[in-house]
Amino acid sequence: MSRFLDMGGYAAFVWPAYAVTFAIVFLNIIWARRALARSRAEARRRLAMRAESS
Amino acid sequence: MTWTWFHRLGSPPYVYALAARLTPWFAWPAALLIAGGLWGGLVLAPPDYQQGDGFRIVYVHAPSAWMSLMVYMTMAIAAAIALIWRIKVGHAVAAACAPIGASFTFAALVTGALWGEPMWGTYWEWDPRLTSMLILLFLYLGYMGLRAGLEDTQRADRASALLAVAGSVNVPIIHYSVTWWNSLHQAPSVMRFGKPTMALSMLVPLLMMLAGFTLYFVALLLVRLRGEVLSRERAASWIPEVLKT
Repeated sequence: MSRFLDMGGYAAFVWPAYAVTFAIVFLNIIWARRALARSRAEARRRLAMRAESS
Repeated sequence: MTWTWFHRLGSPPYVYALAARLTPWFAWPAALLIAGGLWGGLVLAPPDYQQGDGFRIVYVHAPSAWMSLMVYMTMAIAAAIALIWRIKVGHAVAAACAPIGASFTFAALVTGALWGEPMWGTYWEWDPRLTSMLILLFLYLGYMGLRAGLEDTQRADRASALLAVAGSVNVPIIHYSVTWWNSLHQAPSVMRFGKPTMALSMLVPLLMMLAGFTLYFVALLLVRLRGEVLSRERAASWIPEVLKT
């Protein structure tokens, strides 16, 4: 296990590369969901405003 | 051949419903492929005879770099379709691509730097490949900045689409930079004509990662596309219906 974590002496380069990439993979999932939720909330607000004014 | 399927792709309610339905069909296979690729790349593949275990950075670097270019091509083609045929959904696709592409261009640059230091002895060099990738990141950021700066969605769509199409000249420059100029960066070993120059036990996990990231991109795009379509349709009658679920 510790040999695996050591990555043949390249641990200081291999693991940060994986960490950065997968941080971006997970952040993109959160960002995409948040963008959709924001658009849906905005559309709801517009509908409510229109219902009030008519 | 009938073109009805193509015309339906221009219809926002159809696109919204289709995107929602398709997302899991891309997301789950993507997760499986990436998990398999990680296992194969980190555990099963043998160390490289020159780079030892350092070569394993390829399993995150190459998919990130592939994403940065593939997402840009998707964005530029969608923008061109939207400009030429005035299909609004094209603008929505292009706008949805930009933040995904920008973040993976950043990942490609960072993982490349982390690979460059042990192998080339430097994190950064003003090398043709590295410089053209940095320009790609600026193109994405310029695209997003331009959109954010223009209040009116229609004007933002047109202006940013022109930028996306014009910027696509950078894509072949990035791809061929390692052949046209003397570059520190190695020549392609997978994305080339003829056979890849890699052992199968190293290649298969890489192909799984590339396929997995591609499906993951489609899933992300489908989620973002729904938001973009929704914000472009101010007063359409189908909106109350889709907001219920």
